[in-house]
Amino acid sequence: MIRNRASLVTGLAWTAPWWLGFVVFLAIPMGASLYLSFCDYSLLQPPVFTGLLNYEALARDAVFYRVVWNTFLYSAFSVPLSTAVALLLAVLLNKSVRGKAFFRACIFLPTILPLVAAAMIWMWMMNPEVGLVNAPFRGLGIEAPPWLTEPGWAMAALVLISLWFVGSPTVIFLAGLQEIPEELYEAARLDGASGAQRFRHVTLPGVSPVVLFNFIVGVLTAWQIFALPYVIWRREKGPGDSTYFYTSYLFDNAFRFLKMGYASAMAWIQLLIILLVTALIFHLSRRMVHYRGS
Amino acid sequence: MSIRTLTLTLLLVVPAIALLAVGPKHRDPVPPGRTVIRYWEKWTGVEGAAIKALVDRFNATAGADLGVWVEYSAISYIEQRLLVAIAGGDPPDIAGLIDSRIPQYADQDALLALDDLAREQGVDLAAFKPIWIDLCRFDGRLYALPSTPFTIGLFYNRALFREAGLDPDNPPRTLDELNAAAIKLTKRDATGRIRQLGFSTSHTMLGWWPWVWPYYFGGRPWDGHRYVLDSAEGRAAAAWIAELRSALDPQRCLDFELTAGAIESAQNPFMAGKLAMLSQGPWFCNWIRKYTPDLDYAVAPFPSSTVGGGNVFASEDVFVIPRSAPHPREALAFLTWVTRQRNIEELCENHGKASPFKLPSAEFFEGHPNPFVRVFDDMAASPRAFGFPSMPMWAEVEVELKAANLDLLSGRKSPEAIIAETQPRLDAIVGEYQRMAARRRGSAP
Repeated sequence: MIRNRASLVTGLAWTAPWWLGFVVFLAIPMGASLYLSFCDYSLLQPPVFTGLLNYEALARDAVFYRVVWNTFLYSAFSVPLSTAVALLLAVLLNKSVRGKAFFRACIFLPTILPLVAAAMIWMWMMNPEVGLVNAPFRGLGIEAPPWLTEPGWAMAALVLISLWFVGSPTVIFLAGLQEIPEELYEAARLDGASGAQRFRHVTLPGVSPVVLFNFIVGVLTAWQIFALPYVIWRREKGPGDSTYFYTSYLFDNAFRFLKMGYASAMAWIQLLIILLVTALIFHLSRRMVHYRGS
Repeated sequence: MSIRTLTLTLLLVVPAIALLAVGPKHRDPVPPGRTVIRYWEKWTGVEGAAIKALVDRFNATAGADLGVWVEYSAISYIEQRLLVAIAGGDPPDIAGLIDSRIPQYADQDALLALDDLAREQGVDLAAFKPIWIDLCRFDGRLYALPSTPFTIGLFYNRALFREAGLDPDNPPRTLDELNAAAIKLTKRDATGRIRQLGFSTSHTMLGWWPWVWPYYFGGRPWDGHRYVLDSAEGRAAAAWIAELRSALDPQRCLDFELTAGAIESAQNPFMAGKLAMLSQGPWFCNWIRKYTPDLDYAVAPFPSSTVGGGNVFASEDVFVIPRSAPHPREALAFLTWVTRQRNIEELCENHGKASPFKLPSAEFFEGHPNPFVRVFDDMAASPRAFGFPSMPMWAEVEVELKAANLDLLSGRKSPEAIIAETQPRLDAIVGEYQRMAARRRGSAP
């Protein structure tokens, strides 16, 4: 018994950096934010317990529904598109071509660029008068899309910009692709499978767990989009309120409107939404994801 | 220990010891017997140096007599940090804020009311122009003292006026004249793209206060209970913006506005000669002096709907004392010293701003770096001067008003439709806040 207790103390001591960090920086703040979500708290005065009032106010808040819808739209378009593009790039980068390392670096480089710098670059890239993205339109004498000033185009622009950051999922896909046994491709070739058929019946099932992983990470990231619209539309709600997202509204409530209790309630609803969406993805993917050895 | 381990350990330990031994030290050793008060300010660069010089002088002179030592810190994102400091129970003794924040903080009892303390310390509030003290009040109580005040005027490019056949000595006196001049001053290329814009209320064209326009039509939208955009003045202001936009083509304007360069640089659209008129404050003269000193420009009072309307937007940087500040009396002793006419005018002069006093000292205007300081100073004396609405929920209301302005600029909806959509949103924000405030006070909503 004493020996077990000594082992426990030793174990706790050695794992202290992790569990202390978890308790102090995650568990306690999460618990506090859950409590604050039931409080009227402005940061300037002590929190006052108000029960479900914040949640009731959220149910009446038209802006809340708008930001949920905007964020849903953004994630619905950007996540599948980013996943598909990342997979495509990974397949291309997996080929034996000269300068492979250079291309890999090129695709990963934007991921390490600060988001604010990336936002500034894209503001100029999509500038209707001088932007590179619109150069082909101008060359053809066609009116370029008003990327940043029309509600529909603004969302499209943001989805397009999200592709700039496919470096991380691409690298993960690359690792997944390299795990697929070469024998499977050889067997498919012997059976006369074309390149497209090999991709459909060997590559896709082989990387399906990675697709699931990247998809879920993509959903998590998309539901927390903040910096890009914050910089591009200068802290405003964007054309026709179209680029005002969940986390932007949460931030505004917490630090501009001083409604920290309200913002905490929003944060917990955001967590619930993400959990539900993740659970749904897991459920729907059961028959599509193939784990080796299962 | 192996050589490798020893080398690694020395590589880590020696620099750490060196850093502790000869690294950065607290620069200002506090003389014994002084009460240290912490002062957070948002300014950096020349503006920061100006207040730091005053703090140093106080510490060397009056501070010694009073037994007070001011520890000055330039703080970025001061509003957020002050919030966190107040929430954490460790606020500074003095903070430099913008006046628009006073109602929000004061309504939540986060600022010390200064009426009694100011009287006790002999601060002569009557010596200031009334607008600057009014902006320091909320609900009838004084929560701040003026530091550097500013009024917003019409900046116009005299050279572009001449090119467009306009008289540079007679800037627009009414908003209709301003629109007419803006149309004349707008130039396009062969494809119809705008190459020079007369005037715009867009943020990118330095229209930082998109909610002010009803005020120039004589409106005062906040009546203490409701923010009324759906008024004759609100509708007139929206129609005025929409009229200019439709005359210039809203989409072309939006496209052009996206090409604006960085604000504090020579690529600033006004300094680059791409924008002929704008509404801005005295700091803009400092930027022009720094980046385009040869620019031929002038400043005039911003026009109202009628000649001599006298509606002037005024705002100011202020000193506040957080309620839970550890040394409020000593903090006010410093503020009493710093707001003496000689000191505050020195600060304002270094910031290129006007004096907050009714009667600026004779030497204030002599050698003042801002060639239009008298224009800014005269504007502040207008009885129709107005500031940010004294609303505790202003931050939230402002977001909606900015969104409404964006809709107006895009030309996608009529001014009436925008007002009809925005007014209920504003009412909802104010109503929600009032319910929350009533709960806080323990009274029925």
